Amino acid sequence: MKPLIFDNIDEPGLNTLAVYERRGGYEMLRKALAMPREAVLQEISDSGLRGRGGAGFPMGMKAGFLPKGDMPKYLTCNADESEPGTFKDRELMQKSPHMLIEGIAIACYAAAITQAFIYIRGEYRLQGDILEAAIAEAYAAGYLGDGILDSGQPLSLVLHRGAGAYICGEETGLLDSLEGKRGNPRLKPPFPAIQGLYDGPTLINNVETLATVPHVIRLGGKQYAEIGVERSSGTKLVSVSGDVQRPGNYEIELGIPSREIIFGLAGGPQPGREVKLWFPGGSSSPVLTRDDLDLPYDFDSMAKAGTMLGSGAIIVVDDTHTVLEVMSKVVKFYAHESCGKCVPCREGTNWTHKMVHRIESGEATPMDLDLLASVQTQIIGNCLCVLGDAMAMPVGSMVAKFRPELEAEVEAARERAGTPSLASAGAGVPVH
Amino acid sequence: MPRPEQKLIKLTIDGREIEAVEGTMLVDAAKQGDVEIPYFCYERRLGQPVGACRMCLVEIEGIPKLQTSCSTGVRDGMVVHTQTERVHEAQNAIVEFLLVNHPLDCPVCDKGGECPLQDISFGWGLGRTRVVEPKRHFQKPLALSPLIAIDRERCILCYRCVRFSQEIAEDWQLIFADRGSHTFVSTHDGHPYVAPFSGNIVELCPVGALTSQPYRFRARPWDIEGAGGVCTLCPAQCNVEFTVRDEKVVRVLIREHDGVDDGWLCDKGRFAYQAIHVDERITRPLVRDGGQLRPVSWERAFETAAEIARHQGRTAALVGGGASNEEAFLLQRLLREGLYSHDIDSRPGGALPLELARTLAAPALQASVPDLEFAHTVLVLGTEPLDEIPILDLRIRKGVRRNGVKLAIASPRPSALDPNAAVSLRYAPDGEAAFLSALEAALGHASSGSGDDVASLAELLRSGGEDVVIVYGESLAPAALESLVRIARLLGLEGRDGAGLLGVPASANGRGVREAGALPNAGPGYAELGAPRGRDAAAIAAAAAGGELSALYLLEVDPVRELPDRAAWEAALHHAGLVIAHASVLTDGLRDHATVIFPAESHAEKEGTVVHPDGRLQRLRAAIAHPGEVRAGWSVIAELARRCGHDLGVLTSSMAFRQLVAAVPFYAGITLEQIGGRGVRWPERPEAAALPAGGGSAQTPGAAAGTVQPAAAGQTNGHLRLGTYRSIWAAPEVEISPALHYTIAEQLVELSPADARRLEVGDGDEVLVGSGGTRLRGRAAVRTGVPEGTAFLATGIAQASANHLTEPLVEVRRA
Amino acid sequence: MSAIDRRPPVPRFGHGSRVPGWDVAVDLAKPPATVPDPATTPVPDELRSEIEQAMGRYPNPRSAAIPALHAAQRHHGWLPPEAIAQVACVMALTPAYLTSVASFYDMFALRPKPRHDVYVCTNITCSLLGADEIHERMIELAGDHPDLNVCSFECLGACDIGPMASVNGEYVGPINLDDCEQIARDLDKGGPVLEHKQLRFRRCADPNANPES
Ligand SMILES: Cc1cc2nc3c(=O)[nH]c(=O)nc-3n(C[C@H](O)[C@H](O)[C@H](O)COP(=O)(O)O)c2cc1C
Ligand code: SF4
Ligand code: FES
Repeated sequence: MKPLIFDNIDEPGLNTLAVYERRGGYEMLRKALAMPREAVLQEISDSGLRGRGGAGFPMGMKAGFLPKGDMPKYLTCNADESEPGTFKDRELMQKSPHMLIEGIAIACYAAAITQAFIYIRGEYRLQGDILEAAIAEAYAAGYLGDGILDSGQPLSLVLHRGAGAYICGEETGLLDSLEGKRGNPRLKPPFPAIQGLYDGPTLINNVETLATVPHVIRLGGKQYAEIGVERSSGTKLVSVSGDVQRPGNYEIELGIPSREIIFGLAGGPQPGREVKLWFPGGSSSPVLTRDDLDLPYDFDSMAKAGTMLGSGAIIVVDDTHTVLEVMSKVVKFYAHESCGKCVPCREGTNWTHKMVHRIESGEATPMDLDLLASVQTQIIGNCLCVLGDAMAMPVGSMVAKFRPELEAEVEAARERAGTPSLASAGAGVPVH
Repeated sequence: MPRPEQKLIKLTIDGREIEAVEGTMLVDAAKQGDVEIPYFCYERRLGQPVGACRMCLVEIEGIPKLQTSCSTGVRDGMVVHTQTERVHEAQNAIVEFLLVNHPLDCPVCDKGGECPLQDISFGWGLGRTRVVEPKRHFQKPLALSPLIAIDRERCILCYRCVRFSQEIAEDWQLIFADRGSHTFVSTHDGHPYVAPFSGNIVELCPVGALTSQPYRFRARPWDIEGAGGVCTLCPAQCNVEFTVRDEKVVRVLIREHDGVDDGWLCDKGRFAYQAIHVDERITRPLVRDGGQLRPVSWERAFETAAEIARHQGRTAALVGGGASNEEAFLLQRLLREGLYSHDIDSRPGGALPLELARTLAAPALQASVPDLEFAHTVLVLGTEPLDEIPILDLRIRKGVRRNGVKLAIASPRPSALDPNAAVSLRYAPDGEAAFLSALEAALGHASSGSGDDVASLAELLRSGGEDVVIVYGESLAPAALESLVRIARLLGLEGRDGAGLLGVPASANGRGVREAGALPNAGPGYAELGAPRGRDAAAIAAAAAGGELSALYLLEVDPVRELPDRAAWEAALHHAGLVIAHASVLTDGLRDHATVIFPAESHAEKEGTVVHPDGRLQRLRAAIAHPGEVRAGWSVIAELARRCGHDLGVLTSSMAFRQLVAAVPFYAGITLEQIGGRGVRWPERPEAAALPAGGGSAQTPGAAAGTVQPAAAGQTNGHLRLGTYRSIWAAPEVEISPALHYTIAEQLVELSPADARRLEVGDGDEVLVGSGGTRLRGRAAVRTGVPEGTAFLATGIAQASANHLTEPLVEVRRA
Repeated sequence: MSAIDRRPPVPRFGHGSRVPGWDVAVDLAKPPATVPDPATTPVPDELRSEIEQAMGRYPNPRSAAIPALHAAQRHHGWLPPEAIAQVACVMALTPAYLTSVASFYDMFALRPKPRHDVYVCTNITCSLLGADEIHERMIELAGDHPDLNVCSFECLGACDIGPMASVNGEYVGPINLDDCEQIARDLDKGGPVLEHKQLRFRRCADPNANPES
């Protein structure tokens, strides 16, 4: 397969307009502007392009939800990329910022949007600087501004830098943050497509999703849909990290066996080690084991396996690490990043964090694993956004899939801490 | 925005069919159908639900995930379940989560017994905890303000208090800081949460995290009783519930009334109840004896006061806004029938021509309080709602925020509502007549194209939509009011539902006492007086000082403190041979000059009626017995009248009310039962037609009057124009309420940055402000919004009040 | 003293908050913190113009809150209450509002901090690869270095170079314990930090990504 997004990605100067144009850049914007808006939207719908940011919602359908009419509408590119294990948007923005800008311009044209924002996480200073320069070039060249390419379609694009909060990747948290507030998620409905930024209809898509749009236009929607598998069309950037020999971003055709990514591309664990568990789609996805390595890597197969493709971030953990260690990091992350707005997430993540700490300090009993699992089920489905679930699901999956190992770790921790053995202390959860 | 149409739909909750207005939130609809869904973060008055606590989750057929019923509007045919296994599990989970960090210190918690968290934990929780981890701990309790203590351990982060500060009061002082489970309620950099409506957060808090400093540990719920009442500390007349313990008011809560207060209360109304039970309160009759006021028996007080009978034709009376309709009515009877004097007034700014007064009171021109929320445009004219009728400040904000009401402000002094206004303009103090005739002229011409402020205001009023409500202050002079009436007619407000005028009197029951006849040129019901007209307030002062009057009757008002021209009133009181006052606090004028003081009732003790500025008759009821030897005001006047040989024929307060109704034709037929706890708006009744029509006031303004005196017009040989303002806190009740001591401020002299620079005065510097031979000391407050050329000084305050100054120009210099 | 005030202090679970004020009473002598009046709140010209420019970029100027706070933090080194009041004055917001916003985000410092930010990622991937030791080492180094602000950060989006750190915004990795000292030295010198390990020079891991080159 020939890469689409990562084609020429390391070409020196690709981040500049001159090189990007030499590589055929912005031709697709010209092509799109020559088509009726509806036709462009139709191509996107035909492509079956599903969101690359986490939820995998078809982009064409989302853009189709935007009400027609004259009200101000907005596009927001989600470049907050904070899901642990995910770093694809970073490389894309750093090396090919104009591809993103072109995708944004086409999407805005298709959805009759005249004001767009890129919300980039504040930590991405380099990428933000590069994008800012690219935006300035695009304005100067007439790809952005009052009438892009003399089409009469105005488009203004503003880069907005965040300041460090994972929840601002959640689309409604992002909107509040972009409005200058704390990045707390909003109740849905209303969905952003109906009432989003400044209460106007708002299309929110991930960097990679938008950067794919020029390729959809180039190939044609139907043609694009031929790549990949049914209901998971196209290519996907996969960030592979953890215990592998060649960590990094890989562009793959959706539907290839996971083993091919983890072992074929990323080289698998260091010699002599074995995969113990892996996250197929960022730290929010329920974990898989070495038995799942042959699953096809696409949205539906992952869903069928009880997990999700998410952002396409594969984190591999080999057998030199304990499950408890991984769980502890996951839990600490979500407890730190919970925005605190809703009760089950705020208290659930923080309670879980304390529980895991108790396990680690040798003060727990194996029965506490039941409590841990039960608290996770109490979180799932009850929160305002899905950050709570994003901790509860992987943690729940670890308890379910690695119970014997976790029990052994509970015991081992007790031993380390010198806590009296259960036989003498009398097992059980203290009742208060 | 005209009121939205309401469509009734049917839905099913737990098998019961319930009828509700479409779009009502499911929690509220369920309540109407007697199904109780627990919740914490939701509060209808706070507007948009946040869906944060997740306590209200229910199952709705056709939606896979549980839904928050606080944020789900009901639709026809909706089928809802609140009693399924899934719902119960979710509810148990939320209660358990809420208690993960809650200290469960209920035995020592002030909220105990009236705590939603207790009730919901009991009703919807499992009654056990699996948490063995340490909870989060904070120092407790900590001061959040002089009025409020915060116990952050108890806080469940429900958002109610911060939403109040941010979305209702819009003061944006109370915030959440930090994130996740570290989140805590805070302010900026240790500044206290001091704002006029801060006390509402205590009532909103569903746990014991925010408690009232004055009420903390004063009572448990089983020690207290609630008594409905009306707050008469300002014209807003909010409906309240007095919490009474052992015949003492220990707390004031809201008694929500959409037509009056919308369920909020200002801190004056909430905390100045303390003035009822302090030592400073006058609770026994006092008589001046050897130059000193001394407590005496009622008999002695009446004897002394009955001297008034000898001052026939030479007696004048002033009626304050704390007086009830009945008291004002009986007093004007005593004066007119018993003492042959029409020298009675209740309007500090001077009497209005009768025709004009009638026009302004005419039902066709009256806007109601809720109209503020649904009008197309609201014009606030010559008044600062936040200070003069605080609760309307919130109502106006609500209209702008929720319904897109366009707001215009025209006033001499910057207003707290300026940031919300589409048009905000300043005219010079005393420049309102010129301003209004300019506005009138601008309205008359088709769009003049000229871009000045008056033109854009005219444009907004003319084309912003038909429903225009004009809220105006009592300080407007007759000429300005004539102009205002013509403007109202030009805009077609007369007879239009949802539009009209709303006059803000200078005192709480200003409207009521005037309708009861406390005016020099009208009897009860704005009746024409057969006899020659009486003197208005200023003329009374002059006549008394000049020896033409020998007795003054001050019904709940100290003119030295309250009215313009302090020196004139001091002379008046000094020269009057007999000064009779009803008062509960010994303010300067009374301390120095009163001959007899009858202890006045507080608003928690009074029986009677008052009239809201929008024409709503409201009923005061006694929540507590009279303390000390206090007697009912109506009975004191009736007794005094009898002793003066003029029996008014009233033995009970309801008899006084019946006499009033009989005397005021447009009240005809109203009974106390009808008024009940919610009031009756008389302009809405057919009997309102009995108000005699006012004049045409048809003359067009002089052509020369077409320009507003520009607010920044140069200074006159270095002097500044004097503007005055009266803060919400400028009241004797506030001064003697210990909890509100922090509000007592020295004279703040507000200056524009340009004037301050020119005068070499810095913010916070001490300054002297002089006119004539008078010098006042104050502290400079340099404010960007203050128009150049004017200095604003506070009136109504105990020390250095602006009513010392009488000249329109003052000299300001560093002390 | 009331009975309440005489109680012995409650033992505290040390959780704290990085935001000052979480465990103290307000200062009742202070006035309420309303929107600062431009007449009495001096704002450095440079900062004012940066904030005003940011406000001009958005349909609703309030959107500039985060950019404005970034600007103030660059200007003051952290966000002291005066800095927040300056932003509030230019944006016509209350300082409390901006405190609330600032305290939500990890990159804003509401307490004084050393000049150089070293964010060490200690999230899953990096910690699998040894980030916790790196963090400990950096903390040690910061112990006798007045300019090092070492924080453990959640995933910085560079797991491919884990364990990694962001040094004044520059991503470097994979770093080992020796690199820690080098980082401190480079910061002292004022030049580029750990130049050979900067992310900006890293090629894409995908061998197929650039078939023609
Ligand atoms: C807690 C949370 C964090 C998220 N973080 C990101 C993110 O960093 N980047 C992203 O593109 N989407 C993120 N998402 C998904 C977005 O909410 C949203 O679905 C996505 O931006 C839509 O774009 P797409 O359809 O192109 O994927 C996150 C969602 C949640 C619940
Ligand atoms: S689920 Fe967590 S992150 Fe989402 S709103 Fe609730 S508290 Fe905030
Ligand atoms: S009341 Fe519905 S979520 Fe709080």
